[in-house]
Amino acid sequence: MTSNSMFPNQPADSIAPRRIKVIRAPSFSVLRLLGDLAILSHYRDLLYTLSVHRIKVRYKQSVLGVTWAVVQPLSLMLIYTVIFTVIIKVPTTGSVAYPVLLYAALLIWTFFSTALTSATNGLVSHTHLVTKVYFPREILPLTYVIAAVFDLLIASPVLLGLMIYYGVPLTFNALYAVPIVLIMAMFITGMALIFSAAQVRFRDIGMALPLLLQIWMFATPVVYPLSAVPERFRSLYMLNPMVGVIENFRRVLVEAAPPNFYEIGISALIALLLLPAAYIFFKHVEATIADVI
Amino acid sequence: MIDLKFNKVSKRYRVRKQLAQDASSHPIIRKIQSLRRPAQDFWAVRNVSFEVERGESLGIIGHNGAGKSTILKLLANITAPTGGEIVINGRLSALIEVGSGFHPELTGRENIYLNGSILGMRRREISEKLDSIVDFAGVRQFLDTPVKRFSSGMYVRLGFSIAAHLNPDILLLDEVLAVGDAAFQAKCLQRINELKEAGTTIVFISHDLGAVERVCDRVLLMQRGEIVADGSPAQAISEYQRLSSGLEVSHVKLSKEAEITSVNLYRSEVDDFSTFHTGEPLTICVNYTAHERVKDAVFEVLIDTQEGELQCHLTTDLNNKRIDLEPGTGSIVFTCEELGVSPGLHYISAAIIHRGQALGESIDYRERCATFRVDPGKITRGKFYMPFQWNFEPGESYYTEAGVGQEAREIVSPKAF
Repeated sequence: MTSNSMFPNQPADSIAPRRIKVIRAPSFSVLRLLGDLAILSHYRDLLYTLSVHRIKVRYKQSVLGVTWAVVQPLSLMLIYTVIFTVIIKVPTTGSVAYPVLLYAALLIWTFFSTALTSATNGLVSHTHLVTKVYFPREILPLTYVIAAVFDLLIASPVLLGLMIYYGVPLTFNALYAVPIVLIMAMFITGMALIFSAAQVRFRDIGMALPLLLQIWMFATPVVYPLSAVPERFRSLYMLNPMVGVIENFRRVLVEAAPPNFYEIGISALIALLLLPAAYIFFKHVEATIADVI
Repeated sequence: MIDLKFNKVSKRYRVRKQLAQDASSHPIIRKIQSLRRPAQDFWAVRNVSFEVERGESLGIIGHNGAGKSTILKLLANITAPTGGEIVINGRLSALIEVGSGFHPELTGRENIYLNGSILGMRRREISEKLDSIVDFAGVRQFLDTPVKRFSSGMYVRLGFSIAAHLNPDILLLDEVLAVGDAAFQAKCLQRINELKEAGTTIVFISHDLGAVERVCDRVLLMQRGEIVADGSPAQAISEYQRLSSGLEVSHVKLSKEAEITSVNLYRSEVDDFSTFHTGEPLTICVNYTAHERVKDAVFEVLIDTQEGELQCHLTTDLNNKRIDLEPGTGSIVFTCEELGVSPGLHYISAAIIHRGQALGESIDYRERCATFRVDPGKITRGKFYMPFQWNFEPGESYYTEAGVGQEAREIVSPKAF
């Protein structure tokens, strides 16, 4: 096989100015952080390709395919509805049917738990890549978060269906769901960065995660409304950033009410503080990931 | 123009040893105990500085654990240095373990995009090169088949094809040439030479001294994390072989009577043992120290290939000359007029035994205490070199007219001219 014509050496490559890269021992500086972000943006094609493949691979060779994204929150909704309306009575606010309230909360919760569970293993399940090729490692956990966003979008129309079925009106307040999901995504990204990096050194993280998520879900107004929490515990309870997000996601979409900006503000503040800190932590660990993994 | 610069780069690993007594106790207790012990420092690379000019091909050789792979990982930015600074001017791509970024469930096409992006290509760039990648790998009809159904050959070819289509300014090469069949390796080398001609800076890290010498203009020799030689391939490789010959790979000291101190190789006329060629003279010198009188000793030299296949056995046991060692030092010199072993890397083991004893009961046995590489000389192919002469005899056919025995000797002598 002749190969001279086979490898067109792109003139654009040779003319374009060369990037000078300096590798030093890990240290912290703002400039370095900005540089890391610039490299990440340079690798956006990889982020896109990997995310798409993540979604494709997840549903390859399954008959139901992407429907699985709906099955999980839907079946959880059915189980909890039976438990909390037939077996035990849970206090609900307003006139909205319990299954709708529950599905709205489960939608967000499933997003959170799938993203965190899969992203935590994001680095350790790619040992062969991490020890062989360089790319910004944060891409790996990020792709799992993006895949979970995709699942969220797939499962959302079912909520609309439920709302129509139960005669719940949709108002313009529903638009607040977009910033709420964004705050949520920021928080999840921060958590995913910390957990995936810590998982490299301590596999205990992955072991403890299902238990942690279980406890966390019951410490979040998923199966019950925020109003069911006694007033005197409320301020402590609100420190859980998932509270403001889930409660308000449900309020603006299903209960057709404007969000409580105080509750949302707490979640947003925590997410805003967490994300940069998580990124710095991740980048610090990244320098030696290949040695420990 | 400097494309690559290592400035006092070091890489330290922390090693916590687990003591034997820990093994019996509970894993958690063991963990705590090992954390309480101070970590030991292991410098995989220590204070290494070098520069690579644009368009230069640099080879890095050394024994296992010398720090070659760490240098590669530092260059590829897979792990960060503990100290120092690495400056890389341009787009660097590593051709390391082809196909490591494949996902078995995805199709060939999807994997080309996936692997290409992992190696740092843009989607647009991959789309432009897709046809060429597929043709080079020869997998067009399987493009939309999941790669888990690929044969291992197709897998490797596709992986290499993607990597070969990177247009890096600086190319990092690992032991890629060690995989695949001869045709595939030839393809790899051809592509590397093309990139070289196009002015790509190349860093090649390998055990394959032959390939290093073919590809590189300059070679660094590493030992215990430091550069011990920097020069032309011939210089560095000869230094490597000198270090190897002094290396005690597996020294089975069986008796106190005598020991082999070193094994040296020479070409007869010059003391330059960087290269040996088939059909040229070879001198093997076995130096010994006798601690007491040894009666009727036999010296043996074994030459085997990297794969451990015995090629040749030299022994002093053949004629009835007796060797009686007196306390002190000395040497046995084996002189071979024409080197017969095939081109490639060979290992030398040496032994002193009592006559009639097996190798296992030897006085001293040094396994693989020296290496040497044989380059094609009088032969380029085949298993060994057989001394021969030839003659041109037009219009004559000796064998049909006369018996072989008498006439065959005449063929060798050039009397016809």
